[in-house]
Formats: sequence, structure tokens, C-alpha cells
Amino acid sequence: MSKLKYVGQSLKRKDGPDKVSGRAVYTQDIKLPGTLIGRVLRSPHPHARILKIDPSKALALPGVKGVITAKDTIGVKHGFVETPRYPADQDVLAIDKVTHVGEEIAAVAAIDDITAQRALELIEVEYEILPGVFDAETAMQPGAPEIRPTHPKVKEDLVNIAGKTETEWGDVEKGFAEADYIREDRFENQLRTHGYLEPQVTLAHWEGDKLNVWTSSMGTFIKRAKLSRTLGLPYSQVRIHKTYVGGTFGGKIDLYSHEYCAARLSMLTGRPVRITANREEIFSAYRHSQTLTIEIKTGVRKDGTILAQRFRIINNAGAHRGSGVVVIFLAWGFIMGPYRIPNLKYEGYAVYTNHTTRAPQRGHGAPKVRFAVESHLDMIAEHLGIDPITIRLKNARGPWEQLPNNDNTHEAGLIDCIKMVSQKSAFLDKWRQARPPADPESPLRRGIGIGVTSYMSGTLIYPNGSGVIVKLNDDGSVIVLTGALDVGQGAETVLCQIVAEELAVGMDDIKLITSDTDTTPQDIGAWISGMTYVTGNATRQAATHAREKILKVASEEMGVPEEDLGIEDKSVFNLHDPQQRMSYAQVFSASVAKHRGDTIIGEGFWRTMRDEPTHPSLATTKGRWTENYAFSAQVAEVEVDIETGEARLIKAYTVHDCGFPVNPGLIKGQVDGQVSMALGQAFMEEVMTKNGYTLNPNWLDYRMPLIHNMAGSEDFEVITEQYRIGQPYRTKEVGEGLVSGVLAGIANAIYDATGVRLTSAPFTPEKILAGLRKLEREKARELA
Amino acid sequence: MILFDFEHESSPSAEAAVARLNEVSEETRFLAGGTDLIPNMRIGITKPERLISLTSIPYAPPTLDAKGWLEIDALTKLSEIEHSKLVGDAAPMLAASAHSVAGNQIRQVATLGGNLCQETRCLYLNQKHDFQFVEPCFKRGGDCCYPFPKNKKNVCWSVYMSDIAPVLMALNAEVSVLGAGGEVRLPIAALFTGDGLRPHTLNPGELIRRIHIPPAPSHFGWGYHKSTVRGGLEFATALMAVALEVKAGGLVCSDARIAIGAVNEGPVRLDKTEAAMRGLELNPANLRMLADQASQEVNPLPHHGFSKPYLRDNIRVHLKRTLSLAVERAGKGLKENRS
Amino acid sequence: MRDATAKARPAPRLITLTINGEVREVMVRPRIMLLEVIRDHVGLTGTKDGCESGTCGACTVLLNGKPVLSCITLAVECDGKTVETVESLSEGGKLGDLQEAFLDQGATQCGFCTPGILMSAKALLKNNPKPSLPEIKKALEGNLCRCTGYNAIVDAILQVSDQGVAPLMK
Repeated sequence: MSKLKYVGQSLKRKDGPDKVSGRAVYTQDIKLPGTLIGRVLRSPHPHARILKIDPSKALALPGVKGVITAKDTIGVKHGFVETPRYPADQDVLAIDKVTHVGEEIAAVAAIDDITAQRALELIEVEYEILPGVFDAETAMQPGAPEIRPTHPKVKEDLVNIAGKTETEWGDVEKGFAEADYIREDRFENQLRTHGYLEPQVTLAHWEGDKLNVWTSSMGTFIKRAKLSRTLGLPYSQVRIHKTYVGGTFGGKIDLYSHEYCAARLSMLTGRPVRITANREEIFSAYRHSQTLTIEIKTGVRKDGTILAQRFRIINNAGAHRGSGVVVIFLAWGFIMGPYRIPNLKYEGYAVYTNHTTRAPQRGHGAPKVRFAVESHLDMIAEHLGIDPITIRLKNARGPWEQLPNNDNTHEAGLIDCIKMVSQKSAFLDKWRQARPPADPESPLRRGIGIGVTSYMSGTLIYPNGSGVIVKLNDDGSVIVLTGALDVGQGAETVLCQIVAEELAVGMDDIKLITSDTDTTPQDIGAWISGMTYVTGNATRQAATHAREKILKVASEEMGVPEEDLGIEDKSVFNLHDPQQRMSYAQVFSASVAKHRGDTIIGEGFWRTMRDEPTHPSLATTKGRWTENYAFSAQVAEVEVDIETGEARLIKAYTVHDCGFPVNPGLIKGQVDGQVSMALGQAFMEEVMTKNGYTLNPNWLDYRMPLIHNMAGSEDFEVITEQYRIGQPYRTKEVGEGLVSGVLAGIANAIYDATGVRLTSAPFTPEKILAGLRKLEREKARELA
Repeated sequence: MILFDFEHESSPSAEAAVARLNEVSEETRFLAGGTDLIPNMRIGITKPERLISLTSIPYAPPTLDAKGWLEIDALTKLSEIEHSKLVGDAAPMLAASAHSVAGNQIRQVATLGGNLCQETRCLYLNQKHDFQFVEPCFKRGGDCCYPFPKNKKNVCWSVYMSDIAPVLMALNAEVSVLGAGGEVRLPIAALFTGDGLRPHTLNPGELIRRIHIPPAPSHFGWGYHKSTVRGGLEFATALMAVALEVKAGGLVCSDARIAIGAVNEGPVRLDKTEAAMRGLELNPANLRMLADQASQEVNPLPHHGFSKPYLRDNIRVHLKRTLSLAVERAGKGLKENRS
Repeated sequence: MRDATAKARPAPRLITLTINGEVREVMVRPRIMLLEVIRDHVGLTGTKDGCESGTCGACTVLLNGKPVLSCITLAVECDGKTVETVESLSEGGKLGDLQEAFLDQGATQCGFCTPGILMSAKALLKNNPKPSLPEIKKALEGNLCRCTGYNAIVDAILQVSDQGVAPLMK
């Protein structure tokens, strides 16, 4: 194995110079002559029947070039999930009823923003108000207002069930019967949003036979598929262009109505149409995360070994199925990954309510699930008199464990992660010390807590695979064509590193052409935590293919067997006589001259779980989920003011098994960002709603972490895989799974600092104070 | 982006601005830093047809007048107050409050007068009303109150969130108001009605011209605290400003003013707590007692997701700390005076 | 149909700005923001539009040397003033030290907040060549970043101000 030069190094971002200079072109920066301004008319009611829509006055307004309603659509529904069991349930424009505030009813295109605004005001809509329901557990009960029919396969006497995931293994009742200790808890989570800085924006231009679209997204190929289907156009007539993307975090996947509306209005008017969502629309009509309520029952042996667990999860899925039925499947996956559970019964319900439709969000349920499980485990450990590290090591999965769905933990580094994070944070020295401050009068208390996670690295969902083309220029430099989309995570840099390594060319010798549905190969997109693995291996394969061609030609020209040739600095050399060499430019000429014009193009492709026909069943969890589990253990140290209840994260330690770290510097960036998201989720962020209306649709009242809230963050890698040139390799995800352990760790650390066990996020001063008072009352009762 | 047109003109002087506003017929607003007005126009809380800009009017830096009063032009930017040596020396609490407003970019353009004239806030009010809360509330000239549906038509429980007004109240500051009839000097408290619908006593065409802060007495101490969730870029959860004097040679309080902000329709003074302070030794036990009393004396409106009991808790603890800081500063002053 | 209440629209006004050293004349109505002039009239799209309400800092530019939020600044208020945008930080295609430090620390991810943060940082460093951590935080408190957790941004400013932080990235 040769020494790695590019892969494994913290190399600067390929897209960095564009981004720090202001040259980077985002969707909002694309300007086309004659562009019309589009706006969307939204429902002012959470639940209402539409009796009449009359756009005639709007159409008559000078400057208005087009108005569309459901009548202008072909009636094809869409959804995050579109399977036989879960068919699409979302209209691009509401037809007979609206089911959440902000639901799209009509759209206009006008010559300027003021005219578009006036046109919206002139569209007349008559509603019949229907009763709304907002709490998931209320919405499930018979007699609740019906938003959509309960799923036909759910036979319980419940309403508004969008879907259910149910699975079981072992004998749960037997497990509980054998347990020395059984505990039940319930955890709740707030509604939280993605907080991407770049607003949702789409520019569409219909050129008579071709729809050109620029849109802020997470995956261009899935956008093309959904847009084509809802517009009734062949895929080949829709081209999604590359733009830089200003943050997504799960909130820009799937189809959004404004994308459809911009496209349809452009087709009607023949002019480019831009629709930009304002921040209030994004907060009060677009998709947020999902508020899982999690009930856990666990039976353990005295030594902390988990014998049985039962889970019941209720997801307030909002007005459509959205990703609600995916989260209740994934929650199972996030439960069964890290710890051995010999007997498990799991039920997850996705419930329709009159809230906005829901989307994935960084971790797609994992932070909520791990917050619940890790808190619950600490409570069990305390009862048994075991420390948090020991109980986790007792149950943690090791390498090569077969999971109930036939996945395998492969080279799982979880045990090492737990041990290392414990050691790096000096966990057991600090834990339970309450650490009285230097000043005995001080109200500040420190606490430490741990959380553990496993996360998938790529799974099967459309478009399932990635292709990459690596082609040589005649000067020996390289062009890479990939559908991969850099949403900030560093995909372009990582793919370049792989090509640089495989072909022995400098990072500056590589030019990327990315994420354009017409010119680049299909790609899985930046939303299932599989890009470095799936597109990375496709890239490696494409570069390998090109290298093989280079070596073949060089071997012929130099008269040296291929196995005696090496590559460095854009040239091929004789391993036994390094002076004998050919530059890639010379190889290129020779290839064209003697191989019938072969310009040295390498092809590569990859798909995770090669032999699995499709993704696992969302309803039963049967079938393989992923072939790469990433594992992590994280520790949080918090400081709590016991007089005010105000708390903050001081430091987070992350130890993760990321397989092979292609770029440790970029990984650190992912870790720091997830620590920040976790502390926001823990302490400050909540989309406040009342009857389906959003109360804080702006960044003053929805509080995302500021630079003031920055926490210390250290990360360490447990490296379980090696990168070998020309060989498939396994990288594991680092971009999503690391919110969870910090959030869980914070909850456990607050308990360590104060004795207050919080079972509902966020952990506000008000809740912490209430907890402290309850403890005081209990203490007083004990004394009395 | 503001989705309606309006006229804009610049005024060369405050007097000209006032005269002009009284002369034009359409709905007109003065524009200074615009950091409150422009976002409010964007979301349609106010829809003036004309803006008279005050930003070209020359203004002098803060000065001390003959009697030692600190005089600050209302057009002074918050960043200038934050960094002014004179303000830092003569009224450090004012500098501290200016430093705590919003974020750096806002403080570069926001003015002292504008901060005092800011509109009250409420989750329902401070957002666009394109499809949420479409029916106007009382404050917007309509017929309902979203957060408190049982409120009468003349009651709006929106909250006045200036970080600076409570400080000026605690410092016993005065304000010069310029109107068509000339300039009037009033105690700062006279600016506020305590009514969420119309929080200021200023009439259209009246303009805050300057602020006057009396010299600090000897044995003076101050304390300022702005409770926030994140430590910046936020309106306060609750805000407290304390100014007190102790008798020479000890910690017995001779005078005190406490003003609480961000929890009512205007800044409020805690008269009863202040009265209880006078003549009392400000030892830790008494401060605790006073803070307890103060937290009962305030009657915070639940706002921005914070409940009334929590706001009382927040004020109780932070006011106790703010009071002790003020006492500590007063004590330091004593020592300095002695040496 | 004519709206009976419609009044004559306010006349557009010619304003002169010096943007990144170049004098620009643009016709604007009073409701137009400085951000729109920079991005749409002049075509400098490096400055970003994140919230259009003065809450995220992505639109930060220097106006007469001071960092301001161009999305809530009326263009007519800027007549005769100088404006510096992110495009002014590099000269002849060569990145400035502050920009290089951001690359060295991995302080940009999605990059959308970056132009505004760079301008806030520039304003800070101009008057304070070695800012302390609290001073950095105070100068950047009005700039949201959702990707980095801010750690790398702080490191970049410490690096460029020569306060003992070495580059993270090669």
C-alpha cells in the first residue's frame, strides 16, 4: 500500500475561494432577462373546505402575466414517500380542501413584486371552515376531525393514522418476566426548524421544449423526477442546473409547491419566473422537523444488561404524510443500532394533524430518539447503582454483529468510542462530583453527561445509485462529472481528494462539473448520509478506470509491464528506473493516436447494498437498511445557574467511528456544526404554534445559536477502515448522527449538575427551575 | 422589502422636520436609523405615505452642561453612546444599556431617540399578515386580540422593549421634546403612557430632541441587567436598571430608583420597593428580601413564550444580583471618596 | 380597472454611490433597499439576502466604513456614501488575508453567511487589529451561521490577527 497524499488530509475546500470572494452563485444570484416575480397564495385557515376560487380580478390586473390554481395542474399528487403502501397524498395546489395554515392554493406571476402582491390580494377564495386538530394524541382518537382517512392497513380503532411501523423480535413478555428491574418513561420534543440561511428560492425558465430550473435543493435528480411527474413532462425536458446551496439540513429535499408553481407559471407565460419564499412563509407554511413523543419500557438484569424493550412512538406528522412515515421507521433503526436488545416490540404511529407538512431534519428523528433512550438508560443505571459508562459498555454492540434485519455492524467501533470519550473527557472523575465551584456562594453547578448513537451511511431510495465520469484533458489535467451536490458539507472537496489520490494529480489540476441533471451522471443527492460512501466509491472507480487506461497506454509506450509502473505528479514512471517516465499529456496523445481516439474517460458507479432489490419495508422494517453503520459516543459538559435555571453547554467531546476520515478538517466542521445544532435544540429553539399558526416566524423570536453560545468542541476518530488505492472502501456518515449524543448528553449533564431529570425538550430555565423546586419540596417532605 | 410606495425627503434641521411634518397632509413618519420603523413597514404594522429623514441633521457629540448634566442629542447612534468616553464616565449604565441593544450592525445606525420611540412588541403583531392573523388586531386598527382574546377593545398587552428607557428612568433623566410650539423639557417617564395601543405620549409632529442626565451624586451605585436567552441579538426577556445612593460611611440606602423593562406596555418604576429601600441597610439578606418584594410588585405580561411566574422568578434573581452590584459600586465609590 | 384610491407613485430619484471604489448612479424609488441596489441594480451578488428583515446579517456591507444591514437600509438614505461589499476584499482575483484565513480554518461551509461575516470581521479588524474573544463575539453577534457553530470563524479571526492560531487546513 502506498502512502496516501490527498485522502486522509485536511485539505482546503475546493469551493472555498468562490465562497469567500462572493463569486459563488446561489439560486438567488441567477438573473435572466424578463424574469417575472411569482408569489403563492396560501391558506389562512388550518382546516377548511375550498368552496370557490376566483382569480379573475387578479388576472385582470395590469402587470399580471399568469395565475394558476389547481385547475391548471394535471392532478398528479406527490409525496416524500411514493410507494404502493404509502401513495402520494399531496397536491401541488390545494383542490377541495386545505389542511394546514399556509397550504398553497394559487400562484401568480407579475412584472414586479408590488403587482404580484396586489394580485394575491385580488384572488377571491370562499372557505367553509372545518374544525382543526393539532395534538397528535387527540387527533388519533375516534371522533377527532378527520384530516385524511386512516391508512387502510391500520385496523385499530384510530383516526388520522398516516402510517404505522410495527416490528417485534424475541419474546418481550418473557424478557420483562426475567428482568430484575423494569422502568417506563415518556419523552417529548419540541417543534424545531432547519434554519438554512438561504431562503427557499426557485427560478424556472420554459424555453418551449425545455424547462430549465435553478432551485435551492439537496438533490437535483430527485427534484427533476418529482417536478417532471407533477408537470407531466418527460424527464428529458426538465433540466435542474447546478447552483451553490446556502444550507439545507434536511429542509430542501422533496418537492415544494413553489418549485412547481414557478415552473408551471413559466410554461404558461413563456418567461422566466422566480419565486422566493420570505422568512415568514418558511417558518409558518414550510416543513419543519417532527415532534416525536416516545414511550419506553425497559427490563434489565441487575448488572444492567438489557433484556427487553417496548417502544411506542407517536409522530405529529402534520397535514400530509411527508416524511412522517419515514421517521417512525427510522426511529426503530436508531433504537436498535447501538445496543443489543434481545427482545423488542416497537410501534410507531404517524398521525395527521393540521400542522404544516413535515420534512427530514439533520438526524431525521435520531436526536429525539437518542435523547429519550440515553436519558432512560441513565435513570436505569442510577437505580442499579451502575455508572453511565459501564451500563453502556455492557450493552454496546461490537463488530460483526448480525442485526435483526440482517444488517451487520461490520467493523463497529462503538465500544472504542465509549471508552475513548470517557477517557478524553475524564468522565468518571467529573461525574457525580456536582463540582462545587471555587466560590461557595456561587449558584453555578457543572454537570457531565454522555450519549451514544449509531447512524446509517446511505440507504436505498430514489435514485439509489451514483455515477461519476473522470476524463483527462490533453494537458494531463482532469475533469470530474458528478451529480453530487455540495450543500456545505464539502462533497466537492472530498471527491476531488479521491480523484487526486487515485490519479496522482494535484487538487488544482481537477475541475468539477456537478449536480446538473443534463450534463452530469445521476447521483443519490446530499440527503441520505451516503455521499462520501456511495458517490465517493463511484468516483474512486471512475478514477481507477481512467488510471487503468493510462497505465495500459504507458506500458505499451514505455515497454514496461503495468505492474512495474507507478504514477506521480501527472506522470507515469518506471518503478525500477524512475527517470523513465511519461507525462499524462504524452499518454493522452499516445492514447488518441493509437487507441482509435480514446481520450481516456473513466466511468464509475456505486450503489449501497448491491444485492438488495429495494429499501426496507417502512411498515414492518423487513429488509436491509444500510451496509454502513457509523457509531459515536459524545459527552457534554454543562453549567447550570440553580437560581435562574439558565444553563449552557460548556464543552462537547465527540468520538466517532467514521470508518476512514477522508478529510478530518471537514469532519471537524461537521462535528462543530452539529454540536451547535444540539445546543440550540437543547436550550433555545422552538417553533411556537397555536392552533396551527406559527407565533415566532422570524429569527428574532425563533432563537438559533449565536456566536455568544459557541461551545468548546473536541473530536476524535476511531478509525475502523483503511483507504486502499483502487479498492472499495467504507466511509461512514459524519454529517447527521452527531447531533444526537450531544443533545442526550446535555440532558444527562443537567441531571448530573442539578438532580433535575428533564423529559421534554427544550431544557428551558423555566423547566429547570420547576424541577429544582420539586426536588426542594421532596426534600422538605422527607425531612418532615 | 417593503411592498408599498412612499415618499421620502431629508430635513436639514429638527425644526424644519417638525414644521414639515405639521405641514403635510398624508400620514408621515420621521425616519432616523430605521431599524425599528423599516421592519415594521415591511410587515405592515405601519404604512406611512411619507418619511421625513432626520439622518442629514448635524448633531454634536455628548456634552456636560454648566450644571454637570450629561446632554445627548437624540440622533446620537447607539454605537457612539456605547463607545463615548464621556458617557462611560458620566453615565456608565447608559453606555452598558446601549451596548446590549440588538446586534452590532443595528447599533451602528440606531439612534437614542429612535430606541425610545420604538413600537411595542407581541408575537402576533411582529410578523407579516399575508396569511397568518389576517384580521387586524386592536393595535392594527382591527377588532380582536389574538393572544388575549378576552381583552377589551382598548386594551393591548404588547410589551415595550427598549433597553435604554428603564435606564433613563432609573437615572432620573429628562427629555427635550420638540413640537410645533417649541421645545419642552419633561421627566423621561412622561414619554410613556403605559398603554400598549399607543405607548408614547408624543403627538405626530413631535420629536425627541435630546436627553439630559443629572450628575451622579456621591455614594452612587448602579446596576443593569438584560435577561436574554442567547446573550445578544435579542429583545429582553426582562430588563432591570437600578440607581441607588448610600449614606456616607455605610450601606444604608438614602435613595433608590428601580426601573423594570420589557415586561409591560411601558417601563415601570417599583415605587414600593424603592420606598422600602430608603433607610434600609443594603446587606445581602435585605437585598434578597427587596428582590422578593420587587418580584411581587411587578406585574409582568406573559410575552414571547415566557410565563408570568417565570418572569417574576427571572426578575427576582437577577434584580437581587443587580442590586448587589449597585451596592458594591456604591461601596467602591465610598472608598474612593475616603482615600 | 383603475384603483380609485391609487395615487401617483413617488418619483424615482437619482442617487450616487461609491461601491468598492467605483462611482455608480442609480435611479431608485424610496422603498428600494440598499441590498437591492447592490445585488440587482449594480449586479454585485456576493452580498446575500437571507431574511430581508435585519435579523441574520447575511447582507452586511460597510457603509461609510461602518457595518450595516443593507436589507433594512433605504437606498435613498445612502446618496453620496461609500459602500464596501465582499467583492472588495480581493484584488485582481487575489484573495485577501482575512479570506485566506477563512479557508485555512474551514470557516465557510455552505457559504451563505460568509460574505456578511467577512464584512463584520473586516469592520472589527480595521479598528482593532488584535481583538479579544469577547470583542470578536460582540462584533459578530449580529451574524447568524447555521453550519460551523462559529468555532472556525473565531479561529480564522484569531489567525489573521496573529494571535497564535495555526491553520487547520492545508
